Amino acid sequence: MNLDARRNVILVFIFLVIGIYLFKLFYMQVIDETWTLRAQEIAEKRKEIFPPRGVIFDRNGKKIVTNQTYYNLMMVEDSIQNFDTANFAKLIGWSVQDVRNRFKEIVAGEGTYFNKITGKRTPNYQTIRAYPFLKELTLEEMSKIAPHLANFKGFYEIATSARNYPYKSAANILGYLSEVYREEIEEDRFYKPGNNIGRSGIERFYEKELRGVKGIKYIVTSALNNAIESYADGKYDTIARQAPPLKMGMDVELQTYGEQLMQKKKGCIVALDPTTGEILSMVSAPSYDPNLLVGKRNISANYPKLARDPNLPLFPRPLQAEYPPGSIFKLVQSLIAMQEGVITANTGFPCDKSLVGCHNHPSARNIAEAIQYSCNPYYYMAVRRIIQQGVKKNNFADAEYGLGKWYKYIRSFGLGGIFDTDVSGQRPGLIPSPAFYDKWYGHHTWAFSTIRSISIGQGEVKLTPLQMANIVAIIANKGWYYTPHFVRAIGKNGALPQFEKKRWTMINYRHFGPVIEGMRRVVNEAGGTGKMARLTDITVCGKTGTVQNPHGEDHSVFFAFAPINKPKIAIAVFVENAGWGGTWAAPIASLIIEKYLKGKVSDLDKEKRILEAQIAYQTNN
Amino acid sequence: MRKQESLTEYLDWPLFGALIAMLFMGLATVYSVAFNEAVPSIFNFSEKYGRQLFWILFALFLGLLVFLIDSDIYRKFAIPIYLATLVLLVVVLFMPAVHGAHAWLGVGSFGVQPAEFAKISTSLLLAKYISGLTVKQQTTATVLTASSILLIPMVLILLQPDAGTFVVFTSFLFVMYREGLTFDPILLKFVNTIPGVRYKETWVGSHFIPILFVLVFLSIITLLLDSVVLNLNLFGFVLELSGSSGVIFGLLLIYLISWLVMQRFSTRRERTRMMVVLTLGLLISSAISFGVDKGFGMLRAHQKDRIELFLGLREDPNGDDYNRNRAMAAVGSGGLLGKGYREASVSSLRSNHVPESETDFIFCPYAEEWGFAGVLVLFVLYLFMLFRIIVIAERQRAAFNRIYAYCVAMILFYHFAINIGMNIGFAPVIGIPLPFFSYGGSSMMSFSVMLFILLKLDAQRKDVLR
Repeated sequence: MNLDARRNVILVFIFLVIGIYLFKLFYMQVIDETWTLRAQEIAEKRKEIFPPRGVIFDRNGKKIVTNQTYYNLMMVEDSIQNFDTANFAKLIGWSVQDVRNRFKEIVAGEGTYFNKITGKRTPNYQTIRAYPFLKELTLEEMSKIAPHLANFKGFYEIATSARNYPYKSAANILGYLSEVYREEIEEDRFYKPGNNIGRSGIERFYEKELRGVKGIKYIVTSALNNAIESYADGKYDTIARQAPPLKMGMDVELQTYGEQLMQKKKGCIVALDPTTGEILSMVSAPSYDPNLLVGKRNISANYPKLARDPNLPLFPRPLQAEYPPGSIFKLVQSLIAMQEGVITANTGFPCDKSLVGCHNHPSARNIAEAIQYSCNPYYYMAVRRIIQQGVKKNNFADAEYGLGKWYKYIRSFGLGGIFDTDVSGQRPGLIPSPAFYDKWYGHHTWAFSTIRSISIGQGEVKLTPLQMANIVAIIANKGWYYTPHFVRAIGKNGALPQFEKKRWTMINYRHFGPVIEGMRRVVNEAGGTGKMARLTDITVCGKTGTVQNPHGEDHSVFFAFAPINKPKIAIAVFVENAGWGGTWAAPIASLIIEKYLKGKVSDLDKEKRILEAQIAYQTNN
Repeated sequence: MRKQESLTEYLDWPLFGALIAMLFMGLATVYSVAFNEAVPSIFNFSEKYGRQLFWILFALFLGLLVFLIDSDIYRKFAIPIYLATLVLLVVVLFMPAVHGAHAWLGVGSFGVQPAEFAKISTSLLLAKYISGLTVKQQTTATVLTASSILLIPMVLILLQPDAGTFVVFTSFLFVMYREGLTFDPILLKFVNTIPGVRYKETWVGSHFIPILFVLVFLSIITLLLDSVVLNLNLFGFVLELSGSSGVIFGLLLIYLISWLVMQRFSTRRERTRMMVVLTLGLLISSAISFGVDKGFGMLRAHQKDRIELFLGLREDPNGDDYNRNRAMAAVGSGGLLGKGYREASVSSLRSNHVPESETDFIFCPYAEEWGFAGVLVLFVLYLFMLFRIIVIAERQRAAFNRIYAYCVAMILFYHFAINIGMNIGFAPVIGIPLPFFSYGGSSMMSFSVMLFILLKLDAQRKDVLR
């Protein structure tokens, strides 16, 4: 038997095995991506580093939103050795029992997994995983604990960044952050569970501008899920970048002052820079410290309190309180009537109280006087001329035609809709169109007599304080406005493009003169309703208003702009349940105007009276 | 007998060079896997690389001792060495279990595995026994004796239990095959009891290795296709086959093609004989395939799971299949050129995703760090080593030397094939080390001694005729 051939059998066998192995290895390593991906899944973790959010400055370069570092005290059960409960409790200022309870609480709380689909909570506690033992400690609190942590194996600190509001004001403007929802994570992969997202206000509207660019760090993790080293010496890592700062048109000092003036009262203040449309101040009273809603711990403690407060601090009054505008509407009606040519600046009407109620004053001989006296019958007659122009023979068709024209004018003031702007949570108010009344009463069944109450800003008409402040800005500008907005610049770029566009109303600038003259008289002439808004060296133009409130005392309202020749501020002040407009709203407006234009207030008695007043405000909640 | 004039004169330098290269690569890999930043020095014995360096030096020292001893003693004392090993294998069964196996003999941290040395003593005795036979002398007694030399240590090792080393012992079958040992005497006894049958040889008994290939190959193919339904479209006629019938169908095709080829190229006389062989082959193969299919169906659920996992038919990356899945991820993520030295992210000891990555799974960090290029280098080195040993085997004048050399070649090849097979999903996870690479004293010493005995035998090969 020739056995030498058998050597070849063995050689072929070895070659075959080696060949197959090499083929498989070549396939696994070079061609097939599956195992590379699997290895990444197992050992190479992407760690995302979130930069601190962008800071926010006010119009004068004051930092109004910053970031503060907070600390979480983490613990990993498997790493805890020789734990001295008594000393640890002493260190963090707790009782021994509290410390023990906290351990149990972690197992039952953070250590569970909540399945949002099934709505079930299942235990998921792992002794190798890190859990926060104490959350959101300040630097001071942490600095007392940190030096002793070396004695407590298994405990360590991590820093997190949270918002800080040094002025403690403008909560309604700035908004707050809270943890992302699952739907938001699914929608935008930027977020990870536990991240914060802007929940309201500026923080929400400019979320993408403020959140910055997150960095990605690739690390090698062990089977116990601990990071051991950076992957490939950080070759693929990217650096986190903080977003450029936002510059707001708001004056934070003015905002803070406004909130002080409105303390113990309900209502709102909206102040605009008419030349740019920037919102200088937007107070929603009662206001609250925005720091109350920073971090999970604070939100869960304070949000329910704020939500339950009967004074409704969370209700954004400047944007969502829809009031019948009352007397300020007379300004708009004057302008439309003049533009339509149904009256002139010198048209007079007798104060005929049989048409509509009025207070005692001489009959208005012209527009300026009509505004000065706020004469209701005057506007009854003037607006009837707008609505019933006698163009159509049918009285109802004529009213439809007239109201249609009127509606277009009103819309050109930016009323009856919401502004395309960075102010979130606006409500549109209500400006009735012919279609509205058709739906309400039926086609050709209504005429001026049916809808007459809109002529003095009552009835169906509803406006928000922001819209009313914008009317004042339009009058100050004599016919145009910029969309009211908060942010004037994003980093080195300007504001959003829609804020740069000048919007013209359908009213010719010539018609504004008599109206402004009327407003000047309201404040500055003897017997004017707004004399409490008078300032010694600034000519304030204003208009009082009283908003009828079916639920109680009327709301006190005042609108103003100043100074008369080169207006720099347009303002609307609402004080709920404060009665007549001249008493409370007018002095508040004047204080704000003076503060803004001169930086300080001269009439300290006036200021004191306002600060001390408590109006329809429930102290005990 | 001629005195040794020079230790180095007759040393087979290529094989020795390959050994040193391998040891160096292995040490470098252990250093990378177990690297501890606090103790970067390789001469510090508190770390695994320090100890591995010590083991390598110690193994080389043992090799030197082996080289100083006259090679004649191995043949003379093969039986006492073998018996001593058996005693150790029995004694070790009474030692406390480590990781569930009674495999370690020794005190404290220093221990040896007798099973490692049983490979050497079995090789020696097998070589001594077979070299004393001539082919024509083969009887039932000789076959049984040769088989017993293997079976006794195998049984003792299985009792530990150490499945890995047990499997390695089957490598001796290749040696027996190479040396023409045949199981025919036993088979003939059975076959010839059938009335009217009088065979002189069965062919099966002497060619058991190729037959084993066919058997294993057919079984694996059958199992792989077991759950698959094949759709064959033959000229519009669609044939649906279960997996195992598909294999039988394939065999039939091969049969028909061979038959056509034969019609064309062979003479009439040969044709008849080969037709008989082919037909028989077809019938037997089909029977095996059918049997495996049915047999698999009768297995218990957990047994099926094991086999399915091994064949890659089922995945359980975090449970039963954890080790292999992690190992394959480490190897597969190496790419063409690897992640770079000391950059293994999956298989380093620090990350600890791959268990035993410094011992049984050391191929993982090597393949992860050096990629396919490194794998190619390692394969070439191993192949060179194996071929060099076979070259050495074939140039021996004494049968004892040749047989021993083949034993060494086959043992090394088995370790290589099974160990790397574990890392790429080709072999079940049974813990056996990669020779000269894996961390560990026992395997390092036993493989070195084994190789140095061969080198010594080769160095003295010319003495035989003097």
